[in-house]
Amino acid sequence: MTGEQSTHSERSVLGGHAPREQRSGATLPFGDERHLLAHQWLVDEAYLLDEQAYTRWLELLTDDIHYLMPVRVTTALGTGFDTAPGAAHFDENKYSLSRRVARFLTEHAWTEDPPSRLRHHITNVRTFATDDDDHLVVDSGVLLFRSRGDVREPSLVSAGREDLLRREAGGWRLARRTILVDESVIRMQNLAIFL
Amino acid sequence: MIDQAGVLGSVRRGMIPAHIYNDEHVFALEKERVFGRAWMFVAHESEIPSAGDYVVRRVLDDSFIVVRDEKGEIHAHFNMCLHRGMQVCRAEMGNASHFRCPYHGWSYRNDGRIVGLPFHQDAYGGEAGFKRKSQRLLRAPRIGSHNGMIFVSLDDEAPSLRDHLGDFVFYLDYYTRQSPSGIEMRGPQRWRVKANWKIGAENFAGDMYHTPQTHTSVVEIGLFREPKAEKRRDGATYWAGNGGGTTYKLPPGGLDERLRYVGYPDEMIARMKGEWSREQCDVIGRDGFMISAASVFPNLSFVHNWPRVEDSDDVVPFISVRQWQPISENETEILSWFAVDAEAPEEFKRLSYKAYLMCFGSTGMFEQDDVENWVSLTNTAAGSMARRLMLNSRMGLLEDGTEVSPALPPERFSGPGIARTGYSEHNQRELLRRWADHMERPLPKAAGVEVGTNGQQAEAGQ
Repeated sequence: MTGEQSTHSERSVLGGHAPREQRSGATLPFGDERHLLAHQWLVDEAYLLDEQAYTRWLELLTDDIHYLMPVRVTTALGTGFDTAPGAAHFDENKYSLSRRVARFLTEHAWTEDPPSRLRHHITNVRTFATDDDDHLVVDSGVLLFRSRGDVREPSLVSAGREDLLRREAGGWRLARRTILVDESVIRMQNLAIFL
Repeated sequence: MIDQAGVLGSVRRGMIPAHIYNDEHVFALEKERVFGRAWMFVAHESEIPSAGDYVVRRVLDDSFIVVRDEKGEIHAHFNMCLHRGMQVCRAEMGNASHFRCPYHGWSYRNDGRIVGLPFHQDAYGGEAGFKRKSQRLLRAPRIGSHNGMIFVSLDDEAPSLRDHLGDFVFYLDYYTRQSPSGIEMRGPQRWRVKANWKIGAENFAGDMYHTPQTHTSVVEIGLFREPKAEKRRDGATYWAGNGGGTTYKLPPGGLDERLRYVGYPDEMIARMKGEWSREQCDVIGRDGFMISAASVFPNLSFVHNWPRVEDSDDVVPFISVRQWQPISENETEILSWFAVDAEAPEEFKRLSYKAYLMCFGSTGMFEQDDVENWVSLTNTAAGSMARRLMLNSRMGLLEDGTEVSPALPPERFSGPGIARTGYSEHNQRELLRRWADHMERPLPKAAGVEVGTNGQQAEAGQ
């Protein structure tokens, strides 16, 4: 994702409001405090997502968040794009994410009752500074294992993520997330989960 | 094997042997007799607007390149090199003037004609050994389009697409012809679910009964105000030609008020009125019914809803087109497109897309709960107990066949076909009756096509 002129958010249909900060310079050393805090932030978040503690998760998102998961497509080498133009799985702002969370909190979101067993495996974390001390860009890989019921086969989603973290009063929050899923056809019954 | 006469007879009475939703023998027969014959949606013309634009789409195991050639004509080429059978296009979409097979380098123009055959003279002895002239990638046996929706059929003898759609075209216009420019389609989102393909098609065709229960949560969170049980019951289902669908009964008002009620801006309403017939306008304006979900036999569905997408009372309508592409007896790939009128204001397009993402598709909050049900149903249909259970799909009929709710007279429903208010499974039975009709008719063996010899039926003028 390095070296691009614009973010996926800017090219998406609903990302007009998305923060524009981009990475600057090389990967921060793994001993750098900024990397350590970003890495810990992602790990703590992964536990919230595993537990489906979505109300607390929403509090970790900035009010201007853009949460984007483009549809990946197979294109010939050199085509210049590998996401479906104008189409995404998620293209969310805080309001739409809050509706998704509100739904899980009703007693009638059947797809998660009984709940899935989730494990977000987060790996390959690296952190970049931006031109602004209050923003960090973090890349990570995520492998989500999801198991429902006792007889069904579990399912997996593998994706790369680029996050923009922002320092706000009360701590670091997620201001932008781009999820580049590694399959063009998702092998999961729905995306009633967050990555 | 299956007891074909028993199963089909039972389905025709509205008693469904539960195993048809997860039975390898049933699926083998469907592959041959349903999908080897029916018109299958492959793409919309707006997905390939320019010369050379292509998408690769499947009809079950058969891959087709749906491409616009340099003259603007649309083709569906069987994606298999004439030489050794390699896929000549391995991308899902793109733009190409030619397709070159990576195996031995045979190449084809985007209109399908062969243009390059390495060492034709040295290896084959030229035309005397391999007749290159007039060779082309195999065409889909039949191709047709309606309102920009491109369909193919693998059956040379299939009736025309227009005949297949029949009077359903009246209703298709609500989804695909809201202005002279028609729709543009984006996507599709694609994902695989462990559910039988028929379940989604039946659900979208007529299942108003599930909405208040399955989709309780989306009402509770304020996303959609309509699915309350009483409102759904007052809606009508209709069946016409080879498709049918559901509607919502809207509050009193005329055509303009009702289209505004579901969120259409006045400029779009003006174009709809210019485009739709008197009868099409009357279904909404006079009779008070707004189209919602629909299916066309065998596996193409539509949905039109009008949720709230911001923290306000305004609603925004959206349209989705989806295909239930069978993978096996217990797995379906869903292809779900967002569709919007090409002439709609840009802001409307944005909000309509947002409405779609919140409601349907891989992340949609309606669809999430639907699929959970369908996966569970499919899973349970695999066993031997499911072979005993005959599911009662006779809602709307008394045991002696009397209809619970009579067909609406023309003065209460101005559309073609048969429409009724209230909960029923008339449409699901219509769909499965067509399924039964296909399942009992063996498919004649298609003639073989020989490549490069005089046995080949060369196409004049190519």
